[in-house]
Amino acid sequence: MTTTEVPALAATMRDGFKDYGTGEAAVRALDGINVDIARSEFTAIMGPSGSGKSTLLHTLAGLDGLSAGSSTIADTTITSLSEAQITEVRRKYIGFVFQSFNLIPSLNARENITLPLDISGTKVDPEWFDNIIGILGLGERLTHLPAELSGGQQQRVAVARALVARPEIIFADEPSGNLDSKSGSELLAFMQSAVKDFGQTIVMVTHDPTAAAYADRILFLEDGQIVDEMREPTADRVLDRMKQMGH
Amino acid sequence: MFRLALKSVKHSPKRLILTAFAVALGVSLVAATQVFTNSLSSGFSDLFEDIYAGSDVIVEEAPDADEDEGDPFAAAEGILSSDDVDAIGAVEGVEIAAGGLQVAGAVLGPDYAESAGGDPFANAGPPSQIVNWYGDPRVDQATVIDGRGVESDGEVVLDVDSAPTLGYEIGDDVAIATETGVSLFELVGTVRFGDENNLQGATLAYVSDADAHTLADDPNYSSAAVIAAEGEDLDRLAGRIGDVIPEGTRAITGEDKAAEQTEQLDDVLQYVDIFAIAFGLIALFVGAYIIVNTFRIIVTQRTREFGLMRAIGVTGSQIRRMILLEAVVIAFVASTLGIIMGYLLALGFAGLVTLFSGDIFGTLTLPLDAVLWSYALGTAVTMIAAIMPAIHASRIAPMEALRESATSGKKPLKVRNIVGSAMFLVGAGVISIGLFGDFERPYIYVGAGAVTLVIGATLLSAQILSPLAGAMRPVLSRWFRVDGKLAANNIQREPRRSSNTAAALMIGVMLLALVATFTESLKTVVTEEFASTQADVFATSSQGAMPPGAIDAIEGVDGVELTSSIGFSQAQYDDMAYSVAVLEPETASEVFEYQSEPSVDELGPGQTYIDANIQDLGVEVGEEITLTSPEGDVTLEVAGTLSREGEGNFWVDFATGEDLFGEVPIVQTMVVFDDSIVADDADNPDGATTVSEQTEAVQAVLTDDYPLVILAQPGQLEQLANTFIDLLLGVISALLGSALVIALLGVANTLLLSVTERTREIGLLRAVGLKRSSVWRMITVESMVMAIFGTVLGMILGVALGSALVLSLADFGFDGVTIPWIWLAFYTIAAAVAGVLAAIWPAWRASRLNILAAIAADG
Ligand SMILES: Nc1ncnc2c1ncn2[C@@H]1O[C@H](COP(=O)(O)OP(=O)(O)OP(=O)(O)O)[C@@H](O)[C@H]1O
Ligand SMILES: [Mg+2]
Repeated sequence: MTTTEVPALAATMRDGFKDYGTGEAAVRALDGINVDIARSEFTAIMGPSGSGKSTLLHTLAGLDGLSAGSSTIADTTITSLSEAQITEVRRKYIGFVFQSFNLIPSLNARENITLPLDISGTKVDPEWFDNIIGILGLGERLTHLPAELSGGQQQRVAVARALVARPEIIFADEPSGNLDSKSGSELLAFMQSAVKDFGQTIVMVTHDPTAAAYADRILFLEDGQIVDEMREPTADRVLDRMKQMGH
Repeated sequence: MFRLALKSVKHSPKRLILTAFAVALGVSLVAATQVFTNSLSSGFSDLFEDIYAGSDVIVEEAPDADEDEGDPFAAAEGILSSDDVDAIGAVEGVEIAAGGLQVAGAVLGPDYAESAGGDPFANAGPPSQIVNWYGDPRVDQATVIDGRGVESDGEVVLDVDSAPTLGYEIGDDVAIATETGVSLFELVGTVRFGDENNLQGATLAYVSDADAHTLADDPNYSSAAVIAAEGEDLDRLAGRIGDVIPEGTRAITGEDKAAEQTEQLDDVLQYVDIFAIAFGLIALFVGAYIIVNTFRIIVTQRTREFGLMRAIGVTGSQIRRMILLEAVVIAFVASTLGIIMGYLLALGFAGLVTLFSGDIFGTLTLPLDAVLWSYALGTAVTMIAAIMPAIHASRIAPMEALRESATSGKKPLKVRNIVGSAMFLVGAGVISIGLFGDFERPYIYVGAGAVTLVIGATLLSAQILSPLAGAMRPVLSRWFRVDGKLAANNIQREPRRSSNTAAALMIGVMLLALVATFTESLKTVVTEEFASTQADVFATSSQGAMPPGAIDAIEGVDGVELTSSIGFSQAQYDDMAYSVAVLEPETASEVFEYQSEPSVDELGPGQTYIDANIQDLGVEVGEEITLTSPEGDVTLEVAGTLSREGEGNFWVDFATGEDLFGEVPIVQTMVVFDDSIVADDADNPDGATTVSEQTEAVQAVLTDDYPLVILAQPGQLEQLANTFIDLLLGVISALLGSALVIALLGVANTLLLSVTERTREIGLLRAVGLKRSSVWRMITVESMVMAIFGTVLGMILGVALGSALVLSLADFGFDGVTIPWIWLAFYTIAAAVAGVLAAIWPAWRASRLNILAAIAADG
């Protein structure tokens, strides 16, 4: 084999700028971001509050537009697409896990999980579905409404929903932020195994060094710029790095 | 507290716009009606002033002299001889005493001869007033505009508006038709009646005194106008005149007479008011459901806020008061808006009426009554509707502030169901009592039962809607995938809210379906009625009774086999007035199949057949009874029974009729053509005379002498009757339309509020890839399901209640229910369309939500 294999990129951003407001109140949330998200990698984004982590996640996912620059998902440049086309891209390639309120209250756990497939009208792969449910330990809870689930269970349902359509990339904004340490580490361990065992790509925003340690790679954000990157992190190394940044 | 309430209204005006509009629409109907009838009343009272206030004293038939009010065909007979008038003139203080005579007839257009042939109803135009000319403007109430007044016999004067409208110029011959024929008079002038020629659309004609007596075929006067000498006290003068006039007449001052007439008219207008206000109330009733819903949703959405208030020490009753204050603010704004809208509505409608039938209105004023009523009704409805949600809010515990989700979960519908079932059953019971019990006026029971049943049904509909939405979920999911499933879920999630929304629509549609069932059944009755006659043509007069000469003329036409006339009047039996039908026993059975025992042919002079109402009084065949009429007491033998409900309590032949009433006013003459000469219009063997041709031949004979006689074939009459029924349906539908508009606003309002409530959810759906169009579709499906549910439920109830009503009216000739399928299909389609329309604003809002903002929104 003579050609060097270029690792495929799940998402990219080039010279990404994001400004909020005008005049005095203007805020630059993203200030020239260049980032590549490789396939089958678990990326964590860390940084102080207000540094632009959520903004980066949202613009990468096409939930919000950039003020300048471009970004791609699965080799599709989304910055030039119409709203309807971006919705299409989100449906096909992206899964989401938010910090809270992830589920539709009127749908039960199973329906919430299969929601993305229902929307696009695709059949559920039962083997894959059972696999996810089994690992997440949700088997007994499938007919429950979100209100009847604990916070940890709700987040696991949200992760299952993100996984079920095997999206190109999953974005998670502090998915364990509302959970106790045990539920949180269970959730993160599962996300990690989704990357290792099934080759899922995940980008996660977090404040928590322990959570970040589950990732393959950490991006450090400060004032809207990527100031550092760390591979194969451990909780201690992350903590040290955070202290350097003035935390 | 008031400031807080105001702030809360100001903070979220949008959610209250539709609520306020719902109240305003109902209020506007009430206000519009009052403005309208008020101005109609003032328009007519001006007319009465013109007519009566000119004469100082009027001598006329005393209102209680002769109780034959029930007979609309009795012409005002002359009651004052010229000697009587002279006697009045001789009373001290009388300057002029002028005998007045009104002729029953019509002023025809120049081309009356041609126009009568085609359209049988052409001559039945606006009414004419034909009176004798006196020559003094104070008596005639008229100012000559062109030409001169009537100076000799054979001359006529018309009012300024009618002359050009009819197409006459001075010097032309004017055709005046009376019972006895058409006479021509030379037009010598035009006059303005009163100050403004305010005649409410009628034609006014003056002829000479002698001509008036000839036309009316009466040597006497029907009234006298008195002009008093300068400075005379009118009340006392009237008293003095009262002493010289014959019995059965009275003297009244012009002013009193005008006031009396206005009062009588106001009594009539009051019914118009009640009728229209009833629809306003229906609209408000429907609006109340929407207000309840709005407040309920607002309270739910503000649960956390109220919880927080409670946590920091605000008492439950303070919260309740705050919500009720909010309701007051809305009620005030909405009622004000409603009054303005109502005034504009009345203005528009009055303009429309003026366009078609002339200026019949006084100035449109906003009566204080209307303002007070509007505020009172608007406020009452809003407050009553807000009470339950306010109480609910005051019970919110401080803990609720800490809950994650604002939706308070599923409270069972138990109380609602119990109350609903109870009302439903009581309502159904009362209706059955009305239908099957043997009571007088069963329709009162049916009506009261219906209202109770409907309220019960709206409460119960939550119980039906919830499982129905569940059952529809798979279907909707198949048709619309996730959008449909979510729509079904949303309906099911808030059964009270959804069913209240549907209930508002249900009531409107129910009333429509009820009216449609009723009118459709009425049409069937009419059709059967005309199908059961063997008469080829019906002859009636457009003014009063059929002239006997006309009947002779018809019988004289070749091809006419026979005629059978029928007349109606009233007589007293046992001190109660009953209707008496007079028919020709020899020919009656040739034109109608009378349900009688024995056959009508056998009804002889001195005999009467009685209907079920009289039998109910205990009168039996074979007895002798005495009827009292203007002509005196007549004793008759009860010889049989005849059931033709709603027409006559007693049936007699013409000989007996003349004993009772003198000349019998003939309402209708049925004409049968000779079958051997006249063929049906449809199958026409070559060259035979058709029914239509034969009718024209008869009409031609009548044109000259009896221009007021109208000939109509049963089909034409049926069509005319059906047109009226359709018009009735149209008017009622239009009035109910406001209730439907309110109901649709309700659907839109509920959806809008629930979109706000589901902001985060919709944001999330969009984030995981639901397209804008899908969001739109989700809301639309939700709206359509609610709209169709409300409509179908309304139709079922409406048809059921309409059928009950029709059955309860069996006494009036209804013998079966006709279900208005076409209308029902139309309503269903309209409901679906309305559902789509009502969803536009909410769906637009939902699909435009900014995803990130929506997810971040506090829910
Ligand atoms: N809709 C908005 N309008 C105006 N400014 C905004 C908006 N969203 C974010 N910002 C600003 O952009 C900057 C970055 O915000 P962002 O939410 O990305 O921070 P973050 O790193 O996610 O913070 P946290 O850790 O607190 O979640 C902040 O200064 C914030 O105030
Ligand atoms: Mg953030």
